[in-house]
Amino acid sequence: MASAAQRRIKAISYAKYGYMFIAPFFLVYCFFQVWPLIYTFILSFKGNQSEHALWVGLNNYSTILLGQGRAAGAAASQEEFFRALGNTLILWFGNFIPQILLSLLLAVWFTDAKVKLPGKGFFKVVMYMPNIITAASVAALYVNLFGDSENYFVNSTLMKMGLVSAPVAFIKGPIASKLMVMFIQTWLWFGNTMIMLMSGIMGINPSLFEAADIDGANSRQQFFRITLPLLQPIMVYTLVTSMIGGLQMFDIPYLYHNGANFNKQLETVAVYIYYNFNQGTVESANYGYAGAASIVIFIITAILGSITFYMNRDKDAIAKKKQRKKAEKQYKAKMKQGGLTL
Amino acid sequence: MSKLTRTLALVATLAMASSALVACGGNTESSTAPAASTAESTAESAAESVEESAAESSEAPAPASDLTNDDATLTVVCWTDADLANMFDVYKDQGLLSDGVTLNYQNCGGNGGEAATQYATYLNSGDDVDLFVAEAGWILNYINDDSFSAPLSDLGITEADYGDAYKYTVEIGTDNNGVLKAASWQAAAGGYAYNADLAKEYLGVEDTDAMQAKVADWSKFEATAKELKDASNGEVKIAATIGGLWQAFSTAKNAPWVEGTTIKTDVAKEFTDMVKGYVDNGYVDPSIEQWTADWTNAGLNGKALGYFYSTWCLGEGAQLEQNGGNAGNWRIINGPQTFFWGGSWLCLSPNCNTKLEAQKFTKAFTADKATMKAYALYSGDFANNKAAMDEIVAEGSNSNALLGGQDQFAVLSDVAANIKMSDSISKYDQSLKDTFLTALKDNIKEDSDTIIDKFTTDALAANPDLSK
Amino acid sequence: MSMKQQYGQAKDNYHAKIIAKSALIFAVCVLLTLICLVPIYILIVNSTHSNMELVANPSQFFFGSHLGENIQTIMNKVPDGASKVVKRTAQQYSSAFNVGKGYLNSFIIAGSTTVLTVFFSALTAYGLVVYDFKLSGPAYTFIIAVMMIPVQVSSAGFVAFMYSLGLVNSFIPLIVPAIAAPAIIFFMVSYMKSSFPLDIVEASRIDGCGEFRTFLTIAIPMMKPAMAVQAIFAFVANWNNYYTQNMILKNEKFATVPIMVSKVLAFDKNLDNGANFLCVTLSILPIVIVYFILSKFIIAGVALGGVKE
Repeated sequence: MASAAQRRIKAISYAKYGYMFIAPFFLVYCFFQVWPLIYTFILSFKGNQSEHALWVGLNNYSTILLGQGRAAGAAASQEEFFRALGNTLILWFGNFIPQILLSLLLAVWFTDAKVKLPGKGFFKVVMYMPNIITAASVAALYVNLFGDSENYFVNSTLMKMGLVSAPVAFIKGPIASKLMVMFIQTWLWFGNTMIMLMSGIMGINPSLFEAADIDGANSRQQFFRITLPLLQPIMVYTLVTSMIGGLQMFDIPYLYHNGANFNKQLETVAVYIYYNFNQGTVESANYGYAGAASIVIFIITAILGSITFYMNRDKDAIAKKKQRKKAEKQYKAKMKQGGLTL
Repeated sequence: MSKLTRTLALVATLAMASSALVACGGNTESSTAPAASTAESTAESAAESVEESAAESSEAPAPASDLTNDDATLTVVCWTDADLANMFDVYKDQGLLSDGVTLNYQNCGGNGGEAATQYATYLNSGDDVDLFVAEAGWILNYINDDSFSAPLSDLGITEADYGDAYKYTVEIGTDNNGVLKAASWQAAAGGYAYNADLAKEYLGVEDTDAMQAKVADWSKFEATAKELKDASNGEVKIAATIGGLWQAFSTAKNAPWVEGTTIKTDVAKEFTDMVKGYVDNGYVDPSIEQWTADWTNAGLNGKALGYFYSTWCLGEGAQLEQNGGNAGNWRIINGPQTFFWGGSWLCLSPNCNTKLEAQKFTKAFTADKATMKAYALYSGDFANNKAAMDEIVAEGSNSNALLGGQDQFAVLSDVAANIKMSDSISKYDQSLKDTFLTALKDNIKEDSDTIIDKFTTDALAANPDLSK
Repeated sequence: MSMKQQYGQAKDNYHAKIIAKSALIFAVCVLLTLICLVPIYILIVNSTHSNMELVANPSQFFFGSHLGENIQTIMNKVPDGASKVVKRTAQQYSSAFNVGKGYLNSFIIAGSTTVLTVFFSALTAYGLVVYDFKLSGPAYTFIIAVMMIPVQVSSAGFVAFMYSLGLVNSFIPLIVPAIAAPAIIFFMVSYMKSSFPLDIVEASRIDGCGEFRTFLTIAIPMMKPAMAVQAIFAFVANWNNYYTQNMILKNEKFATVPIMVSKVLAFDKNLDNGANFLCVTLSILPIVIVYFILSKFIIAGVALGGVKE
């Protein structure tokens, strides 16, 4: 029996409050995100440097993607963009693989009830710590320690210990610098990934492991047959967030240099956008290229994002469909029994 | 004093002429801005400005004294205020700072290259800016855009004030339309500073003349480099960095980076060929970057016989001292080629609201002989005033303790007089120079054609305006 | 060999295996801990050495005695009798790395963004979960869709737009956009769906409570755990945000800690290794201290973020 008050409340439409509550988000989002995105889109159709006020259509896209455009150096611009794209991929791949392997290994170890590990809490806290440090400071830290000559800590120590005879070019070396950035990125993120994976593993029904134990499965079998398959959704999530994070990799590659300019060998797409956009006056900057590169990245992100989105949505939808079917079946069964009254 | 009055009189006439010119030119932006700020000032700080202009007019009865300080802070935008601190000290010591006015430095970026890219945002942000400092490599970006810079005639300063200045500084400070927009306080003559103890030990050189003879041209320089390497078992390099060599090599050629819209690589190619030989033979360490701790330590640890320095490196507290100036026994000579290095200019912002002080400050350090002489003696920097510098050299009043009492101005004065860079600089210079040196150092093991190719690729990618 | 013996042996074997495995894991963990902590330790050690000491010997493993001098340098408090180069160095470091101002600016930005982010995300999530309206589905879909768009994508337009609004050198473009944080809304929606009873809203309506008051007095207290977790991450993320801050803040008086660090890194004159290290140390110190105080909570929060999937 509904009370009078309840009836009255049911009669009121609360929809307007819904709109009111979500309005701030949409207003701010449109103003600070959507419009700038459109603005970027517009910039991508305009010229660079002295042509900055000119509408150039798809010139910027054809320049950075195909190497054909108005500028004499169109091919060079294409080369640079693809080099940046390549660097982004290499740096991302080179930090994601060790990071996920290390994190997975640690997560399995930390959640293994059979392993007696003193100071587990301490280890977790320390391993997560790099993740909270300002990336700019991390870059500064590594630059100050890993300088290319015997005037810096690491090279000086290595040489004193007799491990190397000449200083290693950790910053300028084309391969060494990339390895360093991969190392720093892994250093920054493995703790985070580890804890996420741990929570994923702990979310797996423990009775599965107990049953496997009873059946005599060893820990390797348990890992490959139970942990890994059940961890798949969270792994996909980690993969996609890391991929999108990788596309934005900026702070470390940009700041990891010694001397006046950023390290060209570490130029990622984010650095490419920043560099072309931030060249001082509008006469010397390349807003068009920066805009076009941004849009290309946007499209790549959109594709990556929608892949996960569809994966998640499908799962939900399928689950709902199943539930609905089940409910229908039950309903029909009950109807057949004739025991259901409305 | 008579010189001062003469100059001021000239300023006055030219100020009137130029304000008429501005009005005719229909440059609405620059002609309305001062009017607006004057209107503001009458309401806000009428009392103060009256006081200021009264004080000024007592010593300089000229129309330029219409200028007022609408704001009690003279903001100079720069990158590291430590560079300008010498001027600030002299300004105060000479009692030039008006009562109630404070000098404020606004640092933008950590070095000159960064400043080039960050200024635009700051200067258009509406935050306080009266004057800003720009380097030769990128000044043209800013003085050729009226939204960033205003004619110095707004301060009553004109070309006539710069009769004693080194000509190239005035030419560079003039924009494409022939309007004077920037003035420099220094003539950036360069020299080769070497560690005399090391020179004596390895080369048996006793004095500066002998040393100059050993490095009088590039082939002698290279021969000496070899001698030094053999004598020191490769421990000591003749020059600290590739960057320093480039500075000496390139500016002496006075060849433009850009002709029309074409990138010129002749000098770069020539240098690449030369420096690759140096690197292969171990005469220079390619891994050392200018302006880093390695650069400093090369001098401190006796790994470098010498540095190519500009005048602003030679004073107390500057690079020479930082790079082991106190530890060694240094001397300066002209080196294989007379060269010059950069230099900075003071530019006027259209948003300047402390015009009186801006005028006093700019004039003091770019046009006033007495202040500039005091500045040169205090800072060790080569002031942009021939008369002042000739006087110092003639008097023999300068003795640089870091150079064993040598007078660097005597060594550099001929160099300063011969600096030619106005016809060769472009707004792309900083970017092209950085790109070239990066390509060179990153690919030093490749052959020189490949290096030049890599450089042009990077340069073209960054500058769609240019072509090969 | 009796059954019992055999079993015992197997058991011993098993125990030995477990102990060996545990020891191996422990060793790996110790190694990783060292990799995480040694750079920080060396950083702190180096900031207690003078420039000359570091020039003479860059591999310093133990604390030095020049911390005071380095502090004087970056605070511009060198003695009056100091040489010009010392004074200039101090002036340069103190104006680029004005540590108090940097902390304050970073705190203002990180603090206000945190409050805004958490409050408005909770509000939006509440609006999406509690109310049934026509566009709630599409709105939520939109939020999920835009969740992963990187900042860089719109940064060119963002800066150009802020520039045209005259909002460069202002905290507004860094603070106000925090109202719209899709990822946090996504998290809060999931949290509310799993642990917020909708009946309570109805009960509150019957009591005559207004909608907004219901949100403030009933929903917010119930969402505290989720909000606290997100508050910490929002704070850390904004404290550390170099990319956007560096594009917007060019005036020295607004410089934040990451900007100051990048400036010190860019110095080309008056270099002082000791002061360099001290600047980096100071830039990470507050956040590391806070982290160790709240570590248990933060680790739990990360785990919670992981389960959200």
